[in-house]
Order: sequence, then structure tokens, then C-alpha cells
Amino acid sequence: MPSAASTSSNRPSDADVVVETRNLSKIYRDFWGRDKKAALKPLDLEIRRGEIFGLLGPNGSGKTTTMKLLLGLIFPTSGEAFVFGKPATDVSKNERIGYLPEESYLYKFLDAEETLDFYGRLFGMPPEERARRSAALIEMVGLTRDRKRQLREYSKGMTRRIGVAQALINDPELVLLDEPTSGLDPIGTREMKDLIIDLKARGKTVILCSHLLADVEDVCDRIAVLHQGELKELGRVDELLRVTGITQIRAGGLPPAAYEEVRAVLARHGASDVEIGNPTTTLEDLFLEVVRDTEARPGRRARAAATTPADGK
Amino acid sequence: MVLEQEIPRFAAWIGPALLTFLLTVGLVSLFVGLAAWLVQAARSGPLDAGDRVYRGILTGLRDLAGTSPGRVWALARLAIQEAVRRNVLVVLAVFALVILFAGWFLDPASVNPGRLYLGFILGASTFLVCTVNLVLAVFSLPADIKSKAIQTVTTKPVRTGEIVLGRFLGFAIVGTVLLTLMGLAGWAFVVRSVQHEHELTAGGLQEIRDDEGTLLGYEGRTGSGRGHRHFVRLDAEGNGIAENTQGHRHRITSRPDGGEMVSTVGPAEGLLEARRPLRGTLRFLDREGKPASKGISVGAEWAYRQFIEGGTAAAAIWTFDGITEEAFPEGLPLEMTIRVFRTYKGTITEGIHGTVQLQNPSNKLRSEAIPIVAREFTIEELRIPRRLNTVLADGRVQEADLFRDFVSDGRVEVWLQCLEPAQYYGVAQADFYLRLGNGSFAWNYAKGCLGAWFAMLIVTALGVMFSTFLSAPVALVAAVAVLLVGQFREFISRLFQSQLTGDATIAPGGGPIESLYRIVSQTSITLELDPTPAVQAMKLADMVLLAPMRVAAGVFPSLSALGTGDFVAGGFDIPGDLLAADAAETLAYVAAFCIAGAFCLRAREVAS
Ligand SMILES: Nc1ncnc2c1ncn2[C@@H]1O[C@H](COP(=O)(O)OP(=O)(O)OP(=O)(O)O)[C@@H](O)[C@H]1O
Ligand SMILES: [Mg+2]
Repeated sequence: MPSAASTSSNRPSDADVVVETRNLSKIYRDFWGRDKKAALKPLDLEIRRGEIFGLLGPNGSGKTTTMKLLLGLIFPTSGEAFVFGKPATDVSKNERIGYLPEESYLYKFLDAEETLDFYGRLFGMPPEERARRSAALIEMVGLTRDRKRQLREYSKGMTRRIGVAQALINDPELVLLDEPTSGLDPIGTREMKDLIIDLKARGKTVILCSHLLADVEDVCDRIAVLHQGELKELGRVDELLRVTGITQIRAGGLPPAAYEEVRAVLARHGASDVEIGNPTTTLEDLFLEVVRDTEARPGRRARAAATTPADGK
Repeated sequence: MVLEQEIPRFAAWIGPALLTFLLTVGLVSLFVGLAAWLVQAARSGPLDAGDRVYRGILTGLRDLAGTSPGRVWALARLAIQEAVRRNVLVVLAVFALVILFAGWFLDPASVNPGRLYLGFILGASTFLVCTVNLVLAVFSLPADIKSKAIQTVTTKPVRTGEIVLGRFLGFAIVGTVLLTLMGLAGWAFVVRSVQHEHELTAGGLQEIRDDEGTLLGYEGRTGSGRGHRHFVRLDAEGNGIAENTQGHRHRITSRPDGGEMVSTVGPAEGLLEARRPLRGTLRFLDREGKPASKGISVGAEWAYRQFIEGGTAAAAIWTFDGITEEAFPEGLPLEMTIRVFRTYKGTITEGIHGTVQLQNPSNKLRSEAIPIVAREFTIEELRIPRRLNTVLADGRVQEADLFRDFVSDGRVEVWLQCLEPAQYYGVAQADFYLRLGNGSFAWNYAKGCLGAWFAMLIVTALGVMFSTFLSAPVALVAAVAVLLVGQFREFISRLFQSQLTGDATIAPGGGPIESLYRIVSQTSITLELDPTPAVQAMKLADMVLLAPMRVAAGVFPSLSALGTGDFVAGGFDIPGDLLAADAAETLAYVAAFCIAGAFCLRAREVAS
């Protein structure tokens, strides 16, 4: 647990909860108020300061819907969402939030500098600070050469990059990233991961959704897996991926000659199927298992229901 | 220029107006709140709905209070950038084209070209700027919502009120710039178009000599300029004026040049003026000389212009108040616009003869009749001198003083009578006035542009409000519908009153269904329909259709009521009271539309 939080308040748990949802659900309605799609079924979540939280799920499973509900962009059908202890529809919470939408929805007639200047103004930043921060962010996302071009001329990845810069203009405490790596080149993806880890190092909270499971596995502390709007898995990444019943042994500098000795020791303790090499169980396997399992046997998975939010590291 | 009603003092107007405004806003909010509650209640039960609506209003108000000028300005800048990058400035090119073509279409030889040009320029710029701003306002927010750019804005600490206000402000600035440029170009166009010169040669003048042969002066005509010529009357030295034609005069000065007289015709005077009138109240006497509530209606004119018959005791009497020697040291400068209705043609180029007299309202002392000639479409000027003759009861003529003998308590009556039997004079209250002085025409033109500016502000706010909850094309139609109902609000309320009272004379022809029936069956609108059950049902349906329109007519803005172009074109100074009232009305509409827009946008899920 981050030390700052434990000293700041007698009720660390309250001050530490950045996002909280209670029975949050969303049914999209058509113009006449008829139900069209239950995009999110009652969801209880608690996300704490300094966490990197991943939302996973197949297309249309309600990840973006969850994020929009947290941002107050859409209103819940029932239940409540709180961000920094305030209702999600309260605008003042946005002072401390950064949001990168699914696609970078920006003003095409502005150039990169004007875009960041505009969003900086919305936070009431003074001119020097705006100039400094937007220059730094443009540099960071690698658009220095294209900063005077209108966004309508940008490629998909470039638009994505300026979108990221836009989300960070106010140095937010909570960052919501909806598929941050979509459209980015391999270097950009790498930089994105570094950025997220850097945000965590600076004590920020990150909520992200992504289909690149390897990346999620690398950066996320906890994940939730949604399927058809329902929560199927929730827990710490390392715990979820720990395959119980199989013990993994890793060692550095072990000469191949020693393999036989290790095997012999393990065999003496009655271990079977001994295998020595790189670990193979991945988030990808877990993800596929959850999805297949749910398609085969609809209903709430026992494991998700049992999992409570972890206490951080 | 026709004034349909008196312009109240602003100080007296603002109180009741504010009260009406607050009452209307209160009623509308109550109604809308109730509607919102009903919709919510249908979904989630009455208690929950009440809670939601109450909380929505409360947080909405708190958000409004938290409006930050910095964010509004950021959003306004964005709107300006959007407008500029959408090439709105093209409209200036359109305006330039309009001006160029106007030079061909507007007839410089018309009765009053100044009025024609001014009316056209002010009308064209108002229309253009309102159209551009309406389109900008209506398409902007829906485009943002469609492109989802709004999501990156509303996830910043931005209140919906700031989005609405920023949009409004940005487009208002764009409209202001457009209007300023158009106003300046229009000014240059009008001033250049009405400027003209006449030549006056010795050949065009005739000497006038008395019986002894001494030179009294000259008479003649100027040369042609912009399609007209003036009659000229000069004194013996060759100084004088080219008389009123097409609403203006020229001063003429001459100097001897080697035995010949060389005359110079000065620039046009009275074309672009801003008269400040002192207006009176009007009553009529009928042909027997008894007080009449109205003159004779000759049917061909609007109801407010009444007619008096020539050669009878019929008279139109204005009572002017506030007449002091200090205000009018050189006598009363009376200006008259008199309509002429001829029952026989007579000499059409000659005017119809009549008289003007003063009467003391207290002791009924009447001055000698001053002869006048009424010509159509021109403002006749008559300076009533300080010293006047009065005819006593025994027939003696006595000299009297204007202020001492005819003015009592600052009030004086001016009587107009027509002398020619079977001809009629038509007058309205605003047609006779005393000229208090002149305002600056340039300033008056600027005030006229201010009227266009008010219209632009209202249209922009209206467009932005509708765009918060309707898609762009629908919002456009809705805004145009509101403006149309507002435009005809007088008519709609008269029509409704006529339907309610069954008095067809207020607004003949009936409501929408009845008039459609009359068109199809080719029934005259003045013909009463037999009250068969079918007709009764039709009238009832009309009432049902008209009622909401009547309510709307009481609330919606009328751009033409805000327009002050008539004053400018007619050559009258726009009264400050009117301008202040218009400004207050504009502010009220803009505020109401912006707040309504903020609430609508707030209640909407911008991301779905
Ligand atoms: N505005 C809307 N109106 C109606 N249904 C919607 C709307 N937005 C989303 N949905 C539905 O809600 C469900 C969840 O959508 P959501 O966008 O949250 O999915 P997602 O998990 O983000 O998917 P993806 O991985 O493709 O981004 C989908 O079935 C979608 O069709
Ligand atoms: Mg999504």
C-alpha cells in the first residue's frame, strides 16, 4: 500500500478508493424509451489509488459503457458510480481526470498545438503553463514535427497520439484509457506501456481497456473480465494467472547439467509431469477460457463472485 | 414612416416588462419541469422521478453559478475558429455581390432614393447575417455530438452552460464582425449612391421683375442629376434653394463673374437625416364639426390612417405638449406627411389645398388659416412664425404672439382641414410633428445596425438552444418556425381574439381550417359563413389549433419588432427609449435561450 495514503487519513480505505460503483447498470433505450440493449448488468467495483486496472472482454461486452458511466457521459439506468467520492455526473471531478476515448474525438480543424491549448484553457491553466505543458506533451508523443498541421491531415496513429497528449494535459490523478494502443505502431505501443507504468510510478490511477492481452498482463495490477455486460472475472493478475496444482520453478544461471539433478529431487517428492522451461500460462489462455466457459455454461462464474478487491501491493 | 404605437419611456416600460418576463419564464419552467417529471415518472415511478428532477434542477443551477469566463472564452474561441475555417467570410463576398447588383435594380429616380437604398442595405445585411448565424449555430453542436468531439470536452471540467454560452458568444462575435463590415460597406454604398450634383445655367433661369422693372429674383429648373430636376427660386443676388424633390433640397449660391451670374448648386440636404420629432396626440372632427372617434375610412388604407373630407368642417387636430419659447425660439417647425385620397382626379400634378391653424386649447383662440398644399409621399415643412394674425369675433384681424396667445400650459392645438370638396386628406398620429432638432445621421445609421445586431443575437441564441437537443436540420426548422410565429405574433393574437369573440372584423377569414375552406370554395373572407354544425366544428377545430399558436405568439421573439431600419430609412432619429427597450428584450431572450439550452444539454446523454 502506498505509504502516503496510509498516513493521510484515519479511514485510509475511504480516501484511497478512487472509483466505486454500486449495482451500476445500463440499458440503452431508443427514442421512445423502449429498452434496446442491456449493455451493463449490475456491477460492483472498487478501484484504489495507484492501481492499474484493466477492463477486458470481447467486443460489445460493455467496457466502453462502463467507462462512460464513470465519466458521467451517460447516465446509469440504476445504481450509482462515484469518482473521488463524488457522483459520476458531478463536473468538478473532471479537474482530476484524463480520458482517452475509444477513438480520438478531437476537432479536426485545429492543429496539435491549438488542440492542447484549447483543452488547457478548459482547465483554466495560465498561458505560460499551457505553452510549456503542450510543448512537453507534443514532444512526449512524438508529434513535434507535425505540431502545426491540422488534425484532419493526421493518420490514425498520429490522432491517437494527440489524443493521449490531450488526456494528460491536466496532469490527472485518474486516467481512463479506452484501447490506448489501438492504431499505434510497435514502438508507440511500447512507449504507451512505459507511459502507463510511469503514471503508476507517479502514484496515478489508471483504468484501461484493451484487447492486447499481453500488454494488459504486463502492466495491469488487477483486471475485470466482462462478457455480455456481466462481470465474469475480477482479481489480481498474478493471482488469476497462478495455475494451482502446478508449481513453477525458475532459476537463473542453472547449467543444463543440473537439470537431471533437479528432476531427481522433484521425482523423489512424487512430482509428476515435470517440465522445465519458459512459463506458458498467459492471460490469453485465461481470457479464452472465461469466454468459452461462459458460452458453454451461462451464469456467473463462482470465482468472480468470490474475489474481493485486493489490498494493493 | 408609420408608428403603430407610441414609444413608452424606458423607465416606465422596464418594470412591467421585467415582471412579464419573470412571470413567463416562471410559467414556462414550471411547465417544462412538470413535463420532465411526467416523462421520468413513466419510467421510474413518481417519487424517484420527483427526486431526479429536483436534483437535476438543483445541480443545474449550481453549475450555472460555477460558470467560468475563462472556459466560456475558450469555447467561444473554438466556435470562432470553427466558423472561420468553415469559410463564413464567403458571406462578405455574397454581400458585395448584392451591393453590386443592387446598383442595377434600385431605381435612383424613385420618390425617395435615400429611403430605398437604406431600407435595402439594412434589410439585406440583417437577413444575411441572421441566416449565416442561424446556420452556424444550428449545425455546430450536433456536428460535435455526431463526431463525438463533445466527449473530450464534457470530460473536462466544463459546465453545459459554458458550452452553450461559449457557442453563442463565439458566433455572436463572428456575426458582429460580419455586421460591422457589412454596415461600413453599406454606408459607403448609400452615401455614394445618393450623392449627386445639378448644374444650373443662366439659360435655365428666368428673371422675375415687378411692374417697375426692378429685378426681384429668378425662377427656373436645375439640370438633371440622378434622374430628377429641381425647381429653383433665387433672390436678386442669385442665392436661394432648389426646392424639395425626392426628399431633398440644394442650396444655391451665385456670384457675378464678368457681368454674367455664375451659380453653384450645393450638395443634397435632407436626404440622409435623423429628425427628432416632438409628437402630439390626434383627434378628429366629423363633417359637421362634431367630435368623431374616427375619421372616414375610405377602405383602401390601413385602419390607423383616418381621412377627413374636404370642404366641410371635418378636421384633424393634434395637441402638442411641452411647447416652450426656449425649445422653439423661431416659431414652430411643423412637418407634415399627408396622404391624399381623390374622388376625382383633378390636376394630378398639383397638390390638394388645405389649411393649418393653431388653437389655444384653453380659451379656443384660433389663428388665421395658413394655406398648405399636400402632395403625396413628401414631408411638407411649415414654419409657424412667432407673430400670427387672429380673426376676432367681430371680424377684425389682430396680431397675436405664438407663445403668449396660443400656447397654454405648454400645450397647443394644430388643426388640419382640407379645402377642396370631395377630396380627402388621410393622416395618422405620427404624420404631424414638430421638429425638435436633428440627430447625427451616421449615429442613427449605427443605431439602425444595432437593431440588426439584436436580431442576430436572438437568432444565434435560438439556434444554439435548439441544437442542444435536436439534430441540425430539425433544429433549423424549429428555429425558423419560432421566428415565423414571432413575426406574425400580432396577427395571430388578433386572429385568436377574433375567433374567441366571434367578431370577424378584428381579423377576417378565420383560422387555418376555415381559411383553407374559403380558399377551396372561393368564398370571400368578408362573407359570414352560415353557422351550420359543420362550420361550427370547423371553427372549434381552428380554436384548438390556434390556442397553442396564441400562447407561442405571446412568448416568441419578433425580429421585425426589433428592426429599427424603418426609422433610419424614413429619416427619423431612433429614440433612445426604443433602443433601450430593444436591448433589454434582446438580453432577456438571449439569457432565457442560453439557460434553457444549458439545461437541455445537461439532461442529455451526449455520448450515446
Ligand atoms: N448508444 C448506444 N445505443 C445502443 N446500444 C449501444 C450504444 N452504445 C453501445 N451499445 C451497446 O452496448 C453494448 C456494449 O457496448 P460497449 O461499447 O460498451 O462495448 P465494448 O466492450 O467497449 O466493445 P469494444 O471492445 O468493441 O469496444 C454493445 O452491445 C453495444 O451494441
Ligand atoms: Mg469499446
